[in-house]
Amino acid sequence: MTSFWRAHSTGLVTLLLLLPALAGFFGLFFYPMLLTVILSFRPEGETVGWTLQNYATFLRDPDGQWVITLTFLLALGATALSVLLSVPLSLILRRKVRGHLFYRLMVLVPLVIPGLIGALGLLLFWGPRGWFNLFLLQFVPFVTRPVAVDYTPHGLVFFYVWLYFPYTCVTTLSALEALDPGIEEAGAVAGATPWQVLRHIVLPLITPGILAGSVLTFMAAFGAFSVPLIAGGNYRPLAVEIYKQISVPIPAHWSAASAIAMIMGVLQVAFLALYMRLIRRMGGAAAGAAR
Amino acid sequence: MADGMIEFREVTKRYGGLVANDRLSLSIRRGELMTLLGPSGCGKTTALRCLTGYIRPDAGRILIDGKDVTDLPTHQRELGMVFQNFALFPHMSVWDNVAFPLMIRSAPKAERAEQVGEALRLVRLEGYRGHYPRQLSGGQQQRVGLARALVYRPKVLLLDEPLSNLDAKLREEMRFEIKEVVTRLGITAMYVTHDQAEALALSDRVAIMNRGRLEQVGTPEEIYEKPGSRFVAEFIGLSNFLEGSVQTVDGAEMVVQAQHLRVLTAALPGAGPGQKVVLFVRPNEIEIRPRPEPGVVNLFEARVEKATYLGDTMDYRLTLGPGLELRVQTDARNRHDQGAAVWLQLPRVRSWIAEG
Amino acid sequence: MRTILRAYLRGLWEGKLVLGYTLLLSFSLLIIAPFLMILLRSVGKGWFGRLWFPPQLTLDWYRWAVEVGNIPDVMKNTLIIGVIAVAVSTVIGIFAGWAFGRRQIPGKEILMAIVLLPRMIPPITYALGVAKIFYTLDLVNTYLGVALAHVSVCAPYAILVLATTFEGLDERVLEAAGVCGANTLKRFFYVVLPLIMPGILASMIFSFTHSYNEFTLTLLTYGPHTVTLPVRTYLAVGDGYWEITSAMAVIMVLPSLLILAMIQRRAKPERLVGGFKGV
Repeated sequence: MTSFWRAHSTGLVTLLLLLPALAGFFGLFFYPMLLTVILSFRPEGETVGWTLQNYATFLRDPDGQWVITLTFLLALGATALSVLLSVPLSLILRRKVRGHLFYRLMVLVPLVIPGLIGALGLLLFWGPRGWFNLFLLQFVPFVTRPVAVDYTPHGLVFFYVWLYFPYTCVTTLSALEALDPGIEEAGAVAGATPWQVLRHIVLPLITPGILAGSVLTFMAAFGAFSVPLIAGGNYRPLAVEIYKQISVPIPAHWSAASAIAMIMGVLQVAFLALYMRLIRRMGGAAAGAAR
Repeated sequence: MADGMIEFREVTKRYGGLVANDRLSLSIRRGELMTLLGPSGCGKTTALRCLTGYIRPDAGRILIDGKDVTDLPTHQRELGMVFQNFALFPHMSVWDNVAFPLMIRSAPKAERAEQVGEALRLVRLEGYRGHYPRQLSGGQQQRVGLARALVYRPKVLLLDEPLSNLDAKLREEMRFEIKEVVTRLGITAMYVTHDQAEALALSDRVAIMNRGRLEQVGTPEEIYEKPGSRFVAEFIGLSNFLEGSVQTVDGAEMVVQAQHLRVLTAALPGAGPGQKVVLFVRPNEIEIRPRPEPGVVNLFEARVEKATYLGDTMDYRLTLGPGLELRVQTDARNRHDQGAAVWLQLPRVRSWIAEG
Repeated sequence: MRTILRAYLRGLWEGKLVLGYTLLLSFSLLIIAPFLMILLRSVGKGWFGRLWFPPQLTLDWYRWAVEVGNIPDVMKNTLIIGVIAVAVSTVIGIFAGWAFGRRQIPGKEILMAIVLLPRMIPPITYALGVAKIFYTLDLVNTYLGVALAHVSVCAPYAILVLATTFEGLDERVLEAAGVCGANTLKRFFYVVLPLIMPGILASMIFSFTHSYNEFTLTLLTYGPHTVTLPVRTYLAVGDGYWEITSAMAVIMVLPSLLILAMIQRRAKPERLVGGFKGV
């Protein structure tokens, strides 16, 4: 017995140290996830039996299909807009313009704010009595009624962008800063105008960085919960739909909710895998770009 | 003012309190390879970047082939440039890198192919057209850079310490290649380096810079044999300095008293008796003799303090008196041991008026 | 047409300094505006119609939140849950962090990635399972239950921070202390503890902030007795009184901002990117 201890004491101590973490992980994450998987195959309200009915109902139902489509569209829209915002912003911020530290801090603000608070503020700002509509009504000639942004899908996309664009911006900025400035100078000396330098040299080299950040933005937008919950109105992406299944019907539709959660998880993993492959294919050429 | 291919006219650039280029005026002739040589911070890189347009000078004009380009943006100056860290586009193949200046100018495809092929032939890299920069060695990358700089036959080629990132042996090989290519194409070139051996080996003329100013401009021989100031003498080659004052002036010669030594040297314009001067002699010009010989000028007694064997040369430190030290380099055939008493002959001594 | 567009763009490009500053300023405005609106709504009286600013200022809404909205109770819940969550997470973090930071573990990177998994996927996915388990175990609507749910959010970061802290503990400093004559206990109190204390404090602050802001898991595991600030604010949104909701939101954000300001002076802002993610 003592020889076993002596031979494996280090390993056992390490295991002991990891025990609380492993227990927490299993009890609060792994087992719940397992339960969700099991529940998704269980007939609604039952404790035994297996069925694919939960998946079938959701996937065949046009409402269910719309939920999936909506989630994708919102996330893709938000990601695209985030990229369109982040690239010019990063190009401006990399020159140390006056107050650039302040603007960089501004980029990080949405990350630190709970989604709930951000969504609330955005609802107020873009609402019918908010500053956005006040500006339109008072300064833009042909606007006579408030423009609806709250509770609309395009409004939700704006909200997502506000909250999640920093992921894209941060990686884009660091990719820009990792570029060897000599390369741009070489381009200029060779006769390329600043725009040509941007198009042929800078953009191709920072594309992997942009994509890496946009993955995070997409994932966050895809899995968004608190934001669409209070600002989505009748538009319910997957996460909200899951919650609706257990909060509205009585008794709660645990199985249905679990099935939707599984579908959401699978879609997310699938998309992530595709994205990663895309990034890897584009990342090869820029291997030597870093200083 | 002579009209060269490249003209700097009173170019001045300041960074806060630091003057990087101080009313720099330099003319580089057509087809010549001029090197800007100097220690770090002397302003040579600033001058180069004023020429490329990446930096705008605070004052002065810059002309290329008679045209004032001071206000012209970089991409319109029709230059070719080779960079210290190669600056190749990592996401483009060798072919695309070299073709880039042509692609930017929308040159027709057939012409492009011909010129790129020629440029690659020039640097002997035709077989590498499909490679990417990360697959190439340092020397190969620099050759690609050279090809890219020359592909559209610019009038002026700029080289910014192009060999600093290569190892010593490669540096020597590349030196010849660069010189060869530049001469063959008849291009005017401005070369920037801090390596004096490189400057002396490559250049038609050398411009030595110090603290934003030109110290001396001349051929490598002129710079080495007739340094115009103490700085140049110290910067190029090895040097010995002795401080003394003029005793007598006799026509083309004068005698300078440096402690107990009476040194005969060429007369210095403006130096009369009593004038403090600095004497300069190169370690490899001093002869060590075992015995004194009558009738030999500038022969002084000395003792060997230190003798270092360097393979093909011997490096000696000798004292001629308190505080009077000279360094001598001779071939290793005649050895003198530490402590030996010898005689030094200083055949050629130059002098300048001492500062202060 | 294209030439006109090109000329316009070139005009913008030339005036790019002006364009750049305009973009930056309007961008900053769009970032700050939501907060300003919340703040103003929370102190505005009689703010109807087409007004840019509230005509009168008042603390009525805050008073309402405290007296009728039950904020003190909610605050109490949030803090108690936070303390429990931090305690559990820190214990987990200290043990696991020590293991990760100072001991050999085969496949350490993979294990670390697994530990961070709960933060990589949307919490709603496993919150379902947590809720179901809690219903069975009767942990719903209990301080312990909600706190444990928070642990799944806080513990991964706690482990990460503490693993780095412990990894940075230089053995040689301990050795030097021993050579100077300190025994194990003295070494712990005079050398180890002061060196790891900043890391432990940082981990506790991060954990508390995550628990304080945690919404999704709380939403699925709370009950009438365990309403936290985020949940209360959410419920207020449902009520439809923006002023009150705003007041609660301000109350909710204030401590976070204070902690952020405190941390700002010590750590680089960008380092926090890894530590915070929207709920």
